[in-house]
Amino acid sequence: MLSAIFEQIVNGIVSGSVYAIVAVGMTMIFGVLRAINFAHGEYYMLGTFGAWFAIEYFDLPYPVALVIGVIATAVIAVVVGRFVMQRIVGAPPETGVLATLGIALVLQNTVILVFGGGYKFFNGGYIEPVSIFGFTLAEQRVLIIIVCILVFVGLELMVTYSRMGKAMRAVSQNIECCAVVGIDVPQVALRTFILGACLAALSGVLTAPVNVSVYGGMGEIITFKTLPVIIMGGLGNVRGTFFAAMILGIAESLVATYVGLQFRDTVGFATLMLVLMWRPHGLFSAQARF
Amino acid sequence: MSPRDLSLPAPRWDLRLPFGIALAAAACLAPLFLGNYALHAIIIALIFLLPAHGLNLLVGYTGLLSLAQAAFFGIGAYTSALMAVHFGTPFYLNLIAAGAVAGAIALPLGIPALRLRATSFVMCTLGFVIIGQAIAKNWIGLTRGDMGLSGIPKPYFALGPASFTISGTTSFYYLVLVIAVIATLAANLIVRSAAGRNMVAIRENETLAESVGIPTWRYKLVVFMISAVFAGLGGSVYAHYLTVVSPLTFQMYYSTTMLIIVLGGGAGTISGVVFGSLLFVGLSEALRVAPEVRMIAYGLCLLALVFWFPKGFAPLIDRFWSFLKERK
Amino acid sequence: MTGLPVLEISGLNKSYGAVRAVDDVSLHVNRGEICGLIGPNGSGKSTFFDCATGLTRPNAGTVKLDGQDITGWSLNRIAREGRMLRSFQKTVVFSALDVEENLVTAGQMFTFPGLWSTFGIGAMARARVEALQERAREFIKIAGLWDVRHQPAGKLSGGQQKLIQFASMLMPEPKLILLDEPMAGINPKLIERVVESIRFANQKFGVSFLVIEHNIDVVTDICERIVVLDQGRKLAEGTPDEIVRNQAVREAYLGG
Repeated sequence: MLSAIFEQIVNGIVSGSVYAIVAVGMTMIFGVLRAINFAHGEYYMLGTFGAWFAIEYFDLPYPVALVIGVIATAVIAVVVGRFVMQRIVGAPPETGVLATLGIALVLQNTVILVFGGGYKFFNGGYIEPVSIFGFTLAEQRVLIIIVCILVFVGLELMVTYSRMGKAMRAVSQNIECCAVVGIDVPQVALRTFILGACLAALSGVLTAPVNVSVYGGMGEIITFKTLPVIIMGGLGNVRGTFFAAMILGIAESLVATYVGLQFRDTVGFATLMLVLMWRPHGLFSAQARF
Repeated sequence: MSPRDLSLPAPRWDLRLPFGIALAAAACLAPLFLGNYALHAIIIALIFLLPAHGLNLLVGYTGLLSLAQAAFFGIGAYTSALMAVHFGTPFYLNLIAAGAVAGAIALPLGIPALRLRATSFVMCTLGFVIIGQAIAKNWIGLTRGDMGLSGIPKPYFALGPASFTISGTTSFYYLVLVIAVIATLAANLIVRSAAGRNMVAIRENETLAESVGIPTWRYKLVVFMISAVFAGLGGSVYAHYLTVVSPLTFQMYYSTTMLIIVLGGGAGTISGVVFGSLLFVGLSEALRVAPEVRMIAYGLCLLALVFWFPKGFAPLIDRFWSFLKERK
Repeated sequence: MTGLPVLEISGLNKSYGAVRAVDDVSLHVNRGEICGLIGPNGSGKSTFFDCATGLTRPNAGTVKLDGQDITGWSLNRIAREGRMLRSFQKTVVFSALDVEENLVTAGQMFTFPGLWSTFGIGAMARARVEALQERAREFIKIAGLWDVRHQPAGKLSGGQQKLIQFASMLMPEPKLILLDEPMAGINPKLIERVVESIRFANQKFGVSFLVIEHNIDVVTDICERIVVLDQGRKLAEGTPDEIVRNQAVREAYLGG
């Protein structure tokens, strides 16, 4: 019984890792652009499609497909970032909502139009089981957890020590002063956005071997799950987002097993609604930014 | 005032009334000229006009961006469906009940939601749609889950000894036309009332509005509820038209469509919303545009609206009205 | 000028964290009086106003309007029920509404008995609005805005907007108006205009005033009594002559 629960928790940590990687991108985008990226899940989808396409049509090995998926998303992100996201900086919140909603519609439906709406089969990844601490887990799942840790450590280092990271922190804290001090705000915004989109894409490609099915609408659900994570983690708060993501992953896993599978996808938003209605400032401080 | 012309003025007729009469005539005679598919497109456009009016009051006049219309649309649809299927109640009763239930549910939802700042509020309204869909899917005892409720009877009216059922597209068209006209008149009355002015004041500058005695929070709640009523009415008509409701009635897609109608047609104007509904919904239905293409068009429209045309078609409609008024 | 003061504030305290913006300030405004509130920047005048008018909640203290305790009332309730209005430092108007509509909106909540009545479409509602429109037109004529009365207020000049703001506050026949730096950003020619308007409202409509202002000439000209704040505390109170001669006041303004 206990080991069954533990197994669910480990599953939860795996999905939590997936959410964490996606969410940290979205929260950083919010921190710098002050916009909720309603299209964020679409980059997860694009990364997955990119990798799937590489495997399906060019028979490339998984690691190469992964890189291609991320790069393809990066290219699209550059276009979107330059033409849309940069204009959102400094605009009222409604602008960000509507613009990113528009982008989501365009990206999602273009993919469906080009590739068809049916489910595709993702044929790649490390799905061999491996034994760790007495239980069996697909290798891919372990990979996900490892990548998640690496991403967060990397981000922590980048934000604290690199010039880009410091610029990001500056913009997220006080955007007016940045121009005065000589920080190129639009450039920081663009780079943060591309980074966030690529992280989402990375997460998508890593998860594809586990979820197996690939379809144009898969991004929307990810967006709907990531929104609660970033709000409850504190908008712009990287560490808080990590914990919120893990909690969501584990909660989903436990609910799926012990309450009912059909409720799993609702856990995130249901919890968010409860938090918004009763504790409008989230579970973690939104002040503790980067 | 323009300077007086010293020469004989050319006759300048106010063409607005003739235009209005022509429009009314066209609307009444439409079934004679349009085939069933075109009528269907107009019916859908007019059905969506109802929640769009509600959203317009919220976004265009009070300045509150909300994605919740789909939730109240769905609540209205299900209320009507359940009443029709379980109690066999007549259409007008279902319609009223749908609006009333949607408005009533909006109260306990709106109170905590309106305490939130703009971004969180939008998230919360999105949550209403998502939770609504989840409830529709999982409360199988009430809603029959994914199977939905079907066999909703066509609306019938009993007036004394006479009774008739709305069975064909043409008769449904007239029914929806009447409902849409009444709804538009209602929205117009609200907007021209003192309350309408207060709503614009809240949108323009909330603190200033407060300082002249306007209880802004209460107005927001009331408008939230009124917009839910409009959405619920729309949902009811939708349910009776399609004769089927399912959890898919609770979709972000509907909220997005209503946003496009309001923002694209011209937020903050009544004629803009009517125009927007006929253009964005009616036209895309009539052209049988593939759903994906339609969504891409909607997405591009949103981007265009946000960055280049914040007033949507309103300035063009304004110029058209001025032209009719003075033929200039 | 005797009897109950129209506004009585006792022991008002407002802190932001460790900073005491307003420190135990008490003042009163007599009925029909024009009272001035001056002090160096950062002395807490605006915070004091915000607390008195319900924009912010004070940490301690009471605010009484005509003897009635209005402490903790919201901004809109103080305006509507208390008939105490305030202006804002930055001149604001309802940009999308035209001049006439601005004034009508400013008066609506004072003639309509409640929120639901504003949705009314009957003869009574129309009569109320017409009465407001007539009153608005009178103010528009006095203010010299007749030619632009159908223009959206957002398109008018700063000076015109200031007049709209002032006329808006007279629409409901208030008891008391709190003016937050009415002369800020006005060119010298208009200053006389604003001073006249304040006097006009005070003498013709019996409106009491509490005015925050930096322009000492104006303050000594129109105010019968002046209160001085410094670093959140009341420093002095008296007639313009007394204040001008007060040593502590001169130091506060000139010293560090």
